[in-house]
Amino acid sequence: MSLRLSNIGRRAGQQWILRHLELTVSDGECLALVGPSGCGKSTTLRLIAGLDPADEGTIELGGRDVTRLPAVQRRIGMVFQSYALFPHLSVADNLDLGLKIRGIAIQERRRRVSDVLERMRLKERAAHKPAQLSGGQRQRIALARALLRDPLIYLMDEPMSNLDAQLREDLRPELRQLVLRDQKPVLYVTHDQHEAMAMADRIAVLHQGQLEQIGTPSELYRDPVSLFVATFIGRPQINLLHTESNIVRGVRPEALQLQDDGLPCRLTHLEWLGASQLWYLDSPQGALRMVLAADSHVPETLRVGWRPEDELRFDAVSGRRHR
Amino acid sequence: MSHQRRFWIVLLLAWSLGPLLWQLYTSFCSDQALVAPFAATPERWTLAHYRAVLNSEPPFWRYLVNSLIVGTSSTLLTLVIALPAAYALTRLKPWIARPARLLLLAAALFPYVLLFLALLEVARSLHLGNHLLALSLPYAALSQPLAILLLTAAFRDLPLDLEDAARLEGMGLWQRLRWVLIPLIAPATTSTAILVFLFSWNEYPIALTWISDASLLTLPVAMARIAGSSIYSVPYGAYAAATVLGSIPLVLLVLLFQKSIVSGLTSGAVKG
Repeated sequence: MSLRLSNIGRRAGQQWILRHLELTVSDGECLALVGPSGCGKSTTLRLIAGLDPADEGTIELGGRDVTRLPAVQRRIGMVFQSYALFPHLSVADNLDLGLKIRGIAIQERRRRVSDVLERMRLKERAAHKPAQLSGGQRQRIALARALLRDPLIYLMDEPMSNLDAQLREDLRPELRQLVLRDQKPVLYVTHDQHEAMAMADRIAVLHQGQLEQIGTPSELYRDPVSLFVATFIGRPQINLLHTESNIVRGVRPEALQLQDDGLPCRLTHLEWLGASQLWYLDSPQGALRMVLAADSHVPETLRVGWRPEDELRFDAVSGRRHR
Repeated sequence: MSHQRRFWIVLLLAWSLGPLLWQLYTSFCSDQALVAPFAATPERWTLAHYRAVLNSEPPFWRYLVNSLIVGTSSTLLTLVIALPAAYALTRLKPWIARPARLLLLAAALFPYVLLFLALLEVARSLHLGNHLLALSLPYAALSQPLAILLLTAAFRDLPLDLEDAARLEGMGLWQRLRWVLIPLIAPATTSTAILVFLFSWNEYPIALTWISDASLLTLPVAMARIAGSSIYSVPYGAYAAATVLGSIPLVLLVLLFQKSIVSGLTSGAVKG
C-alpha cells in the first residue's frame, strides 16, 4: 500500500507543465513537494486526486492502477489551501456529508463525527458554521474531513499557508502526528522550505515541471544536485561566489568561519537571531552572509574562510553540481 | 445635504408608489365619489367593488388560483431546466460556453410578443389550448435565457475548490448539485424564481390566445375582461379592486423573500 507515480506528465495546451515525474511514497511516510509557484507541485496533487487527468504516465495507489479512475472513486483525503469547507453547512454536517453520501448508517456516522471532533478538540464548535471559526479551527475541520474519508493517501495543498507564523509552528507537530497515525502515505505541498524540512521525512524539489532532486532534508541540505536546490533549501540562503568563469561556488552561511588566512571582510550589517547572529559581509569575492554563535564578537580584523569540503561547485550555465 | 436627499427620496417614492396608492384609493371609492371627487358625497367609502369582483361568476379567487398554478408550474419547470444548464455553462470549454452565452443574451433581448402568433399555431396543432399547465411550456421556455444567465453568474462565483472537495468526498455530479452547489446559490435561485413567477403572473398575449374557457383564465386576461365588460361604462372601481387583489400575492412573495432577492440580484457583482 503506497503511492507510485511513473513518468507522469500534464500538459496545458502545447506546454508541458509537468513531465517525467517519478515518485514513490510509502505508508506512514510524509513526502514534501516543494518548489516555487508554478513549478507543478499543486498540479501533481490534482493528478493524484483525479481532479485533473494525467496526459502521460500511470498513478498507482495502494497497489492498484488508478490513472483512469475518476476522483469520486479514488479514496483521497485532501486538505485544500482554502480549506474548501462547505459554507452552508455546520461543522458537524460538513463532516457528516461525505459519510452520508457513502451510505453509512446514521448511528455510525454520529459516532465517527463526534470522535473526530473530540480528537480535534472542537466538540463545542459542532453547530457553528465554518465562517464563525478561526483559521486554525477551519484548518483542523478540513483535516478532520480528510481523516473521516478513511483515505488511501493524504494530500495536503499548502494546508498552513493561510495561518499566522505562530499558529503554524504550533500545528506542525499536531498535524504530523494526526495524519501519520493512520500509517498512510502523506504528500505535503508547500512553498516554504522550512516547513518542508520540519514536516517531511523526504523532500522532493520540483522546478519548472521537472523533479530536480528527492531525498531526506539533510541530504538536500548537504548534497544538493543543482544550484536551484542549493538556493531553495536552507536559510539564510547559501552564498554564491562567481569568481571563476563557468563555475559558481556555493558556501552555506553556517560553514563560514573566522580564519586568520581567510578573505579580508568588512561588516556591513548585523542581524540578531536570538540563538545565533547573521553577519552581512563585504569581501573581495562579493557579498557574504555568515551565521555565528550568539556570543560571538566582531574582531578588529575580520578574515573569513571555509573548509574546502564545505564548498559546493556548480556549472555556471547548467546549474548542475560538479563532483 | 440630508434635507435635499430626503426630498429626492420622497419624490421618488411618490413617483413609483403614487399610481398604486391611487388604485388602492379608487378600489374603496363608491362610483359617485369617483366621478365627483370633490363633491360632498354621503357614501364615499364602500366595499361594493370587492364584493362585486369576488361574487362574480366565476368568482375572482378562481383566477388567482389559476395564475398561481401557472406561475408555480412554470417557475419549477424553468428551474429544473435552467439550473443544470447554468452549471454546464460554467464548466464547458470557453469556445462553446461563450457563444452559447451570447445566444442566450440575444434570446433574452428578443421581444417575445413577436412569437405569439407562431406559438398559437403550436398550441392549436398540439391541442394545448385551454390547459393551464400547458401555459407553463411557453412561459418556462421564454424565461430560460434570463434564468440561465442569472444562475450562471451565481455558479461562477462559487470557488472551484468547493466542488473539488465534494468530488473527493465521493459525490457524483447530481449529488454535488443536490448537496453543495444548488444550496450554495439559493439566494440567486430565489430571485430568479421570483422573476420567472412575476413574468408568468403578468403575461398577457399568450394567456389570452391559449385560454378561452372562462373558468381557466389567468389574472391579466380576467382583469382585461372586467375592464372591457361593458361598452357603455368603464368599471373603474371593480377594475381597481381586482388589481389590488391580484397584486397581494406578489407583495407577500416579495416581502417573504426580500433578503434573498437583494443578495441574489447582486451576486456576480462582488465576490462574497
